[in-house]
Amino acid sequence: MRDLQPSLNQTQRVRLQSALRQLHSLPSSSSSSPLSSVAVADPIQVNHDDNILKGHGTLDCDGEVVATLCGVVERVNKLVYVRALRARYKPEVGDIIVGRVIEIAPKRWRLEINFSQVAVLMLSSMNLPDGIQRRRTAVDELNMRSIFEENDVICAEVRGFQHDGSLHLQARSQKYGKLERGQLLTVPAYLVKRRKQHFHHLEQYGVDLIIGCNGFIWVGEHVEAGENVGMLVEDQKKTSTAEEESWSFTPLETRKHICRIANAVRLLSALGFTLTVEAIVDTAEASLASNIEINDMLGAEFFVQTAEREVQRRASMVRKKG
Amino acid sequence: MATTPMTYSPSQGAERRQKQQQMRRMSQELDWKRSDGRSFHQCRPACLQTGATNAASGSAYAEFGATKVIVSVFGPRESKKAMMYSDIGRLNCNVSFTTFATPIRGQGSDNKEYSAMLHKALEGAVILESFPKTTVDVFALVLESGGGDLPVIISCASLALADAGIMMYDLVSSVSVSCFGKNIVIDPTAEEEACQDGSLMIACMPARNEVTQLTLTGQWSTAKTNEAMELCMDACSKLASIMRSCLKKSANLSS
Repeated sequence: MRDLQPSLNQTQRVRLQSALRQLHSLPSSSSSSPLSSVAVADPIQVNHDDNILKGHGTLDCDGEVVATLCGVVERVNKLVYVRALRARYKPEVGDIIVGRVIEIAPKRWRLEINFSQVAVLMLSSMNLPDGIQRRRTAVDELNMRSIFEENDVICAEVRGFQHDGSLHLQARSQKYGKLERGQLLTVPAYLVKRRKQHFHHLEQYGVDLIIGCNGFIWVGEHVEAGENVGMLVEDQKKTSTAEEESWSFTPLETRKHICRIANAVRLLSALGFTLTVEAIVDTAEASLASNIEINDMLGAEFFVQTAEREVQRRASMVRKKG
Repeated sequence: MATTPMTYSPSQGAERRQKQQQMRRMSQELDWKRSDGRSFHQCRPACLQTGATNAASGSAYAEFGATKVIVSVFGPRESKKAMMYSDIGRLNCNVSFTTFATPIRGQGSDNKEYSAMLHKALEGAVILESFPKTTVDVFALVLESGGGDLPVIISCASLALADAGIMMYDLVSSVSVSCFGKNIVIDPTAEEEACQDGSLMIACMPARNEVTQLTLTGQWSTAKTNEAMELCMDACSKLASIMRSCLKKSANLSS
C-alpha cells in the first residue's frame, strides 16, 4: 500500500479494517495453512522429524531454520521457503513478460524487466517484420532501431538462462513485439500468478490486457495479431497521410476504457490482491455499475468497496466448498 | 587567534567553544546531568519506518533524537560493464550529509570515511552469493546530524536492505558509547561527542551473536572496554527487536 493511500474518513477506516480482518480470517485460495510473516533472522517453525527441504530465503543456523528475507513462509509438501513481498521478479523459462528497451547493443536489445539483471533479446531470436525466415545480415543489424527503439515497451517470452546467469528472451510469434497506444503499469511481481493465458482481449472494451509475469502490466488499444506487421510493411511504402492519421488515432471511448482498466489494476495492487483478468474486469464493471468516474476509482470510497467485495467473493467461495 | 575573521555570517564559534569547555569541566565530575535528561545508560527514543522513498527498491527512515537519516537501497542491478565478472554480488555504500545537517552550514558532501565504515559493517551480514554479477547500492542521507550518526546509519541501512528483499544472515543493529572520565555514556549526542575522552561503536547481528564491526577510539582500560561492549551488545539486541517489529508492521500492512 505504498503508492496509493487514499485519505479515509472515520467510517471508511472502520469498514476497511473490518474487511481486512475478515480477509485474514478467511482461508486464502492459494494455501490452506495460516500465513506467518517473518523478518530477517526469525526462526521458522518446522517439524524436524519429517526431513524438510529448505528453500529460497531460508538458512540453517545451529540446527534451526531461520529466514534470510522478510516475507511470508510458504510450505509445499516438504519444501519450506520464504516468499519475499518486495523482492525483484524471478524469471522462469516460458514466462510471458513485458519490458522496456533500455539499450541497443550489437545484435541485441537490452530490456529492463524488474529482474536483478537486464534481460537480453537477441536479434536472431525474434521474427523479422517482413516475416521471412532467414539469416540476419549486417543490414538487419543496422536497422534494429526501426524495429525497437530505446524506451519502447515490448512483450516477449523468457527463453532461458545463459551459463553466466544472464537472461535471454525470445519473441518468435506475432503476438509478441512492440506495444503501443496504452499504459504500462508496474506492480509487485508476487501479485501476478502464472496462468495459461496472459494475453487477454477484453472485447466489450476493445482493450488488450497483457499481464506480464514480471509485474509489468500493459493496458492498450486492441491490436489484431498480424496487423502490426502489415502496418510496418505499409510504412515502408509511405502510406498516405490520412491513413497514417487513422492509424495513430485512438477514439476517446477506448482511451477511457484503457484508463478505467488501468485504474482497476492500480487499485487492486494497492490493496494487495492477486491480479487476475477476472478480478480486474470485475472491478472495472463494478465501477461502471455504481457510476464511479475514472478518477474517483482511486478515491477512498471505491477503495473500501473493492476490499469489501473481495471479502464477499472469498466468503462465497468458502461456502461453495463447504 | 589574533584577529577575528570577517565573515558574512555571524560567527558563533566563541560561544560554542565556551559551551564545550563548560561541558568538559562538568563531565569530569562523577555525576552530571545529560542535556536531554537521560540517564547514562539510556538510549534516545528510536523512531523507525520503512518505505520512506518510492523509487528505491527498499528504503528506511530513522530518527534517534535529533539524528535523522534516510537510507535508500537500489538493486540488485547489473554491475557496470567495466567491472569484472564475479561470483558474488557487490555492495556499494555511500553516505552523504545534507548542507543543513550540521550547525555549520554548507558542509554537505560525500563522507568517504562513513561510507567505508558502513560498507564494512554491512558486508558481513548480506549474503552476497545470492546475487552474482550484480550490485546493490546503499545510499544514506543524513538529514540532521545530532550525534551517533554512524550507528543510526548502519541500523537504518540494514532495515532498508531487509525492506528491499535482499538476503541477509541477520539484521545489523549498531550502538555507540562514549567514555567520560569514569563514566560510560550510551548513545551520545553531538555536544557530548565533541568533548568525549573515547568512543566505542559496535555493529552486530544479535540473533547470531556476531559482531560485524567494532570501532574503538581514545583511551580505554580493559575493564571499561568490557563493560562498554556488554552495554552495547545489550542495547543492540534491544534495538534489533524494535527493528524487527517495524518490519513486521510493514509486512502486515501490505499483505
